[in-house]
Amino acid sequence: MIMVNEEPLAWHEGMTVRDILRARNYRFPLLVIHVNDALVAKGDYDTTTVPDGAVVKVIHLISGG
Amino acid sequence: MKQLVIDFQKCDAGRNCNHECELECAIKVFKVDDPAQAALQIKAYEDGGGKAVLCDQCGDCVVVCPSEALKRNKLGVVMIDKQLCVGCYMCIGFCEKDAFMRNPDWIVPHKCTSCGVCVKVCPHGALSIVDVPEPAVRII
Amino acid sequence: MSQLVFDPSKVMDIDYTKRTEYLDRLEALRAGMRTLKEVPFHPSLPDKGYTNRTLYVNVDSLEVKEKPVTQQMKDVFIGGRGFGLYQLWNAVKPTTRWNDPENEIVISPGPVAGMTQYAGTGKSLVVSLSPQTDIPIDSNVGGFYGPLLKFSGFDGLELQGKAAKDVILFVDGVKGIIRLEEIEGGPEDSHVLAELLTHLYAEGEKDLPNVSVVSTGAAAKHSLIGMLNFSFYDRRRKCVRFKQAGRGGIGTVFRDKRIRALVVRGPKVAGDMNHPVDPETIAKTGIKYHKEIRENDGSQCMMRRNGTAHIVEIMDAYDLLPVHNFQYGSHADTHKIDSAYWQQRCTQATVDGCWYGCSMACAKGADGLVLRTGPYQGDMVTVDGPEYENAAGLGSNCGVFDPDYLLELNFYCDTYGICTITWGTLTAFVMECYQRGILNKERTGGLEMTWGNAEADLEMMHQLARGEGFGKIAGMGVKKMKEYLIKQGWGDPQLINDIGMENKGLEYSQYMSKESLAQQGGYALTNKGPQHDEAWLIFMDMVNKQIPTFEDKAEALYYFPLFRTWFGLNGFCKLPWNDVVPADNSSQPEAHKVPEHVQNYVDLFSATTGVKIDKEELIVQSAKVYNFQRVFNIRMGKGLREHDAAPYRSLGPVTKEEYESRAERYDQQIITEMGLDPAGKSTEEKMALHRTWRTDRFSKLMDSVYARRGWTSNGVPTLARLKELGLDAFPEVVEVVKQHL
Repeated sequence: MIMVNEEPLAWHEGMTVRDILRARNYRFPLLVIHVNDALVAKGDYDTTTVPDGAVVKVIHLISGG
Repeated sequence: MKQLVIDFQKCDAGRNCNHECELECAIKVFKVDDPAQAALQIKAYEDGGGKAVLCDQCGDCVVVCPSEALKRNKLGVVMIDKQLCVGCYMCIGFCEKDAFMRNPDWIVPHKCTSCGVCVKVCPHGALSIVDVPEPAVRII
Repeated sequence: MSQLVFDPSKVMDIDYTKRTEYLDRLEALRAGMRTLKEVPFHPSLPDKGYTNRTLYVNVDSLEVKEKPVTQQMKDVFIGGRGFGLYQLWNAVKPTTRWNDPENEIVISPGPVAGMTQYAGTGKSLVVSLSPQTDIPIDSNVGGFYGPLLKFSGFDGLELQGKAAKDVILFVDGVKGIIRLEEIEGGPEDSHVLAELLTHLYAEGEKDLPNVSVVSTGAAAKHSLIGMLNFSFYDRRRKCVRFKQAGRGGIGTVFRDKRIRALVVRGPKVAGDMNHPVDPETIAKTGIKYHKEIRENDGSQCMMRRNGTAHIVEIMDAYDLLPVHNFQYGSHADTHKIDSAYWQQRCTQATVDGCWYGCSMACAKGADGLVLRTGPYQGDMVTVDGPEYENAAGLGSNCGVFDPDYLLELNFYCDTYGICTITWGTLTAFVMECYQRGILNKERTGGLEMTWGNAEADLEMMHQLARGEGFGKIAGMGVKKMKEYLIKQGWGDPQLINDIGMENKGLEYSQYMSKESLAQQGGYALTNKGPQHDEAWLIFMDMVNKQIPTFEDKAEALYYFPLFRTWFGLNGFCKLPWNDVVPADNSSQPEAHKVPEHVQNYVDLFSATTGVKIDKEELIVQSAKVYNFQRVFNIRMGKGLREHDAAPYRSLGPVTKEEYESRAERYDQQIITEMGLDPAGKSTEEKMALHRTWRTDRFSKLMDSVYARRGWTSNGVPTLARLKELGLDAFPEVVEVVKQHL
């Protein structure tokens, strides 16, 4: 189990940041992502794996309007 | 279209010349005695060789110019119409080769127009004007 | 999850230079015009962003005069919306209503406006007493009118009085002529009128880009929701295009004054017309930003491809796209009107942007639309947009997912002079009333206002333009329609009030605020009414969980409305602030504020005006105007806590279907937020629990926000706050407030 934006999400072995975005349907392009307080660069979403118990913040910036 | 090209087999990136190309361009084209204002800039790499910053007439700037100040002439060279330019510098910002220049004293930006004044003064014969096909217009 | 990729091969092959022209009507138009008054003036260019004078025109008495811009005006009100509010305050009394002659329309571009080196710098701010809200409305609009007016010699234009016959005000900033002309006959609708006037006043083809026209359309005079079109000449398409001062019915005031159009002919634009103190900083900042767009836009929002429509599918994915009058947040047919579609439908091989130097270029144009209905049936037109608000408002919120009809609705809103946001929300309301039997075919005079019926929607709009039938009732807007329905005895008044999405008399713009308390405040605790230009906090609040406490939300509702007010003081557009971000933005503290761009704005202001500010002073500048506007509202008999009340649809589920569509989320909230057990309770009982909880927390939010803003619990700025901002220098402002303390 990991926490994503304060809410639990089931964890699996090898889970990447991209998997989290898919699971949550986070399609917005302007994201700032921290895994256990470490910033994940946009190019590394596919390769960054997330450990069990991680605290993940997927901060959506604002656009539109 | 006419395009200025540089042959780095011949050009030694200013190691054994006085940047005659830049100086000639600055004086003849832009009427300033400062090679930093030339429309081509030769840079030497520390470990040998070099690169030239110059316009290859790709036409990206024509696409982004909001005032139609940039157009190709009969020779395919991208020319700037100073009367139409609104000084927005989108041509500078959108040039992937950094070939659009800006002199703080002028409002209108400038770049190489393949005029060839530099070709004649290069002591190594490294510069030439060639005729190449115009690239397709890119959506930017 | 996939990022939309731009595929140039899919762009529709439409000749963007082709459309129906109306120039054969030019001679008839000219024949119907007569000069009423002509006054010479000395054209001048701005110095440090200001021309230091404004133009006053009374269209009734024909008085034309120049007024000085004082140092106090610059210090306290900066320009743009600030100047507009200040001049409107001085023009009206507490008893003045929108259709009184002393009501004004003030157009002011702001000191930075007209800069050509940075994106989004061509904005005008339009201020007037609104026919919908009876308080000042402000609208931020692109197009060339504001910058060209400034480069002719004026930091603003005040229009007062009511003419006896239709008039055109022409300002020639090259020859130095101000002319009022009477016009008989001739077109009213913007796409015809502005094309003709642009050609009439331009001196030759090369001059066309130096002419801009402000106009509205036939619907403005029969409704309270009229909008103003600000034109700009598209050199490549060779046509006149528009940006809209949409909200609050300023177009209605315009036609009530019997102004047919404003025309400015400015000098040829160059890069230094504002005469800024530090052009070098402006050039460097502008080029840095253009590069940022070039490098990042394609992998971020793709504003250059899609404009703001890029968020249609995003809002749908996050359950935030208004569907069926804000009942639901997503729809299975959204893909028909998402950005993948608009990307191919909008012409891409050209330059878009509503002022020079806008590298964000969000003004997408859809060319080659052949109209299927109405007075221009069969004509081929270019439509701007749709922007997100139009796709959501005219589209999903009304269940319209046919993109061609969406474009046609958009076109007619524009040419008739109707605010698309307002039309979307009021039509959604009409359709829900129809769904629930509050309206029926008999009561609408034959219009079958079922979800998705674009033809009926268009017919309602054509009726409004003709001043007939149910269309005219719709044109009163949601607030007055609610009163009308209740008076007729049609339907349950509470239901009508719950689902009519307006606050202060203005219709909501197109985001679902139900699940974000902060956004409920972002809409309802606004100065002019529920428009997202003050604060858009849904992601911060609902998705990111960044602002969990009342204090956190109040801080966001303090900072963002003030930060965003500042755009309107200066003539900036909001979009370049955060629809692209620097590559390293994510590693910056307070990334959501886009700190590098905030610094850009600080630098651009200082470099233009010579007044050194920092990001804290920027907020203070806004706070002065924001609080002045709040006091203005109070002066007009509004602006108190009761006027910030929100319709329940914006706070929570009104109907059983709405509750059940999100039952899991709502049941969970009964457990976690209320500490109760939803098991065994009926939907009605659970809805009642939610209503109590949600209205209560909205009330608590008001308390927190008012406290943070330095207002009393009744929403009145305290004397201490006014003093802190220097607004105590205006005795009238203090007097207004004192009566409520």
